[in-house]
Amino acid sequence: MHKRWMRKVGMVGAVAALTLAACNGEEDAGSGDDATGNGESSSSGDADTLRVALIGGYEMSSTTDPITGETVEGLEVIKDEFESQNPDIEVEFIVMPWSNHVANTQAMMSSGEADIYQMPGINDFAAQGMLEPLQPLIDEDGFDLDVYIDNQVEGWLTQGPDDDDLAIYGLPAFGDSRFVAYDGQLFEEWGVEPLSDYPDMEEILEKAEQMTGENPVTGEQNYGAWFSGEHSTLFQLVNAAEGQNRQWGEGYEWSEIEFAFNSDEMVTGLEWLVDINEFTPDGNMSAQGNEQWMTENNNIAIRLHAESAEIIQQVQAQGLEDRIHVVQEFKNDEGIGGMFAGSPLSIAADSENQDIAFEFLKFTASDFFQEFMWEQHSGVPVVEAASDWASIQELELMEGVLEAAANPWTPRYPWSSSQPRYILQTAVEDALTGGTDAEDALENAQAESEQWLEDR
Amino acid sequence: MTATVPKKKKSGQSYIWYLFLLPTIVGIVLFILYPVYESFRLSFFRSSGASETWVALSNYERVLTSSSFWNSVYNTFYIAFFQLLIAIPLGFIIASFINSITRFQNFFKSVFFLPHVTSMVAAAMIFSFVLHPEMGLFNYFLDSLGLPTSSWLSHPDSSKGGVVLLTVWHWLGFVIIICLANLQAISSELYEAADIDGASGLQKWFFITIPNMGGTFAFLLVIGWIAGLQRFNEVFVFGGASGSPSRSLQTMVLFIYERGFSGFEFGIASAATVILFIIILVLTLINLRLARVRM
Repeated sequence: MHKRWMRKVGMVGAVAALTLAACNGEEDAGSGDDATGNGESSSSGDADTLRVALIGGYEMSSTTDPITGETVEGLEVIKDEFESQNPDIEVEFIVMPWSNHVANTQAMMSSGEADIYQMPGINDFAAQGMLEPLQPLIDEDGFDLDVYIDNQVEGWLTQGPDDDDLAIYGLPAFGDSRFVAYDGQLFEEWGVEPLSDYPDMEEILEKAEQMTGENPVTGEQNYGAWFSGEHSTLFQLVNAAEGQNRQWGEGYEWSEIEFAFNSDEMVTGLEWLVDINEFTPDGNMSAQGNEQWMTENNNIAIRLHAESAEIIQQVQAQGLEDRIHVVQEFKNDEGIGGMFAGSPLSIAADSENQDIAFEFLKFTASDFFQEFMWEQHSGVPVVEAASDWASIQELELMEGVLEAAANPWTPRYPWSSSQPRYILQTAVEDALTGGTDAEDALENAQAESEQWLEDR
Repeated sequence: MTATVPKKKKSGQSYIWYLFLLPTIVGIVLFILYPVYESFRLSFFRSSGASETWVALSNYERVLTSSSFWNSVYNTFYIAFFQLLIAIPLGFIIASFINSITRFQNFFKSVFFLPHVTSMVAAAMIFSFVLHPEMGLFNYFLDSLGLPTSSWLSHPDSSKGGVVLLTVWHWLGFVIIICLANLQAISSELYEAADIDGASGLQKWFFITIPNMGGTFAFLLVIGWIAGLQRFNEVFVFGGASGSPSRSLQTMVLFIYERGFSGFEFGIASAATVILFIIILVLTLINLRLARVRM
């Protein structure tokens, strides 16, 4: 009987061992996946390992672009170049998708998964004390921040828990910008003058109205403008206020922030959005109606608050270089205005590799890294040198895109990842769908945001 | 002596089976019980993920006095109520028709069940085109019948209707299959007796079939309410975290997601989660009580 008992224990042990072996096998299979680059880490010698967490659809090895059909080189190019420049450092990339990136980053940081993080939500993480202040490392290294396009470093300034002033917790790596894009061919067909380089609200409204209706040449239904009525419309509204020399409010720390969502300029901006909404396709409130935008059969004249990621690759893929043009969003008298966007890279406060992590941050400001991201992933460069690259000069609209990257509102709106953002967006949607008028909607948003500030 | 040996053997066997259960139990403890406990604990703190401050019941107060929370409660109940109101009777009627035919039963079962095995995220993305205000199939259909078209997902007055349509389409197959299982279990003797008494088909349906469906309807109500109160995927695809337009699609789970993962207010999100748990618990108890009374 004792033997039988031992046999049973042995059997359970064997099953457990097999289960563990199977789990281990899965891990091995996972580590062979190029997406993380872990497969090669086990073979390293004495090199320090630097773990870099990125967000997006990056792959380690080459892939085929589903739109253009062209080969897109993977992060292994970056890894090889950095490691050849720094033989004592080995890089591992961890790539997460944009969906749920905030929660994923939070979880990764809590468990110390990486040394460097792509950090679009830098304010929230810096405020938690999870990011390393970079100014001491910059000073020690003598790194020249002038390599970056104007305002790119300033855009990511934020405050840690012990800071009295704004400080550097991230350096720009992945550029982005917001601008007004328009279809020159539709303007020509309607006999309307192209948009000026710095259009105001009146010009856009007037031209959008002129180009809504049956196209005089093609006979197709055209719409004067399009903007997404959900998620980010509030930034178009804030930019409209900036164009009138006003801003969303002031302050940076929560205890100092004062909202001005109900200012006269914001009300005027929202009324303008309501007016221009008349010249958009019906579905824009659910981000629809723009299905033909960026195609040969485009029926939209002006795209407000356009994103570089939406425009650049499609213009090239669809051969629309001669049709689609870019002008600036609304600027104040100092030439500043529009939402600051993109992603910096930050070093985790608990990283044990902060010195070599800073080496990687400097590397991302190199022409090699920036040109790779631009040419392979259509990422907007963040360095001044980009305007001299042949590949940038070949694409006319990049002049406007880079200009937009140099003069947005900085630092980025401190509340843009917090509840006031959703409160203001709801107010905009209320006004655009006729639920309430612009003034009441913004009064509600102001009251609700102030209440939120008081309660937090 | 002979009586003690089997007893020992039985005791050893049960111990072994507990060992086999151990991986599952560990999984439940780690991935269900611990997160539930942690969520409950967090509901008493102001938490941004890294730092925590004890705030007692303040998070509950903020959630319960928040107009956007009650708006999300209304949206959740509205969508779930109309989904159940349409899907259960319609599914039952279709199941009755399928049950009454002798050929192609399996074909119809498969056709109606197909939407249910489709990913809700994929279905929602397709429905955003079906409900497109200008090019959508639904408006084309309404227009060809001479009926007024709708803005569907682009207007707060019609957006919830669009979600109800999707959820009914997606859930109908499940209702049909469950109802069919019950229909086929009703004794044929009852119908034969009714035939002898001269009952019409409609009378048999009303006085034999429907009274025998009580348990199934109760099951569908409970399952449907619980799923309805946890609604996330389709409304997130349609309207994002804030349930655009104008928070008209923001359900309770979206409210939790917005406050937790978009705004780092984990304490508020946890308090809302506990409130949602209580609502589901109370509603399920009421549903079960009502179903028991009817049965």
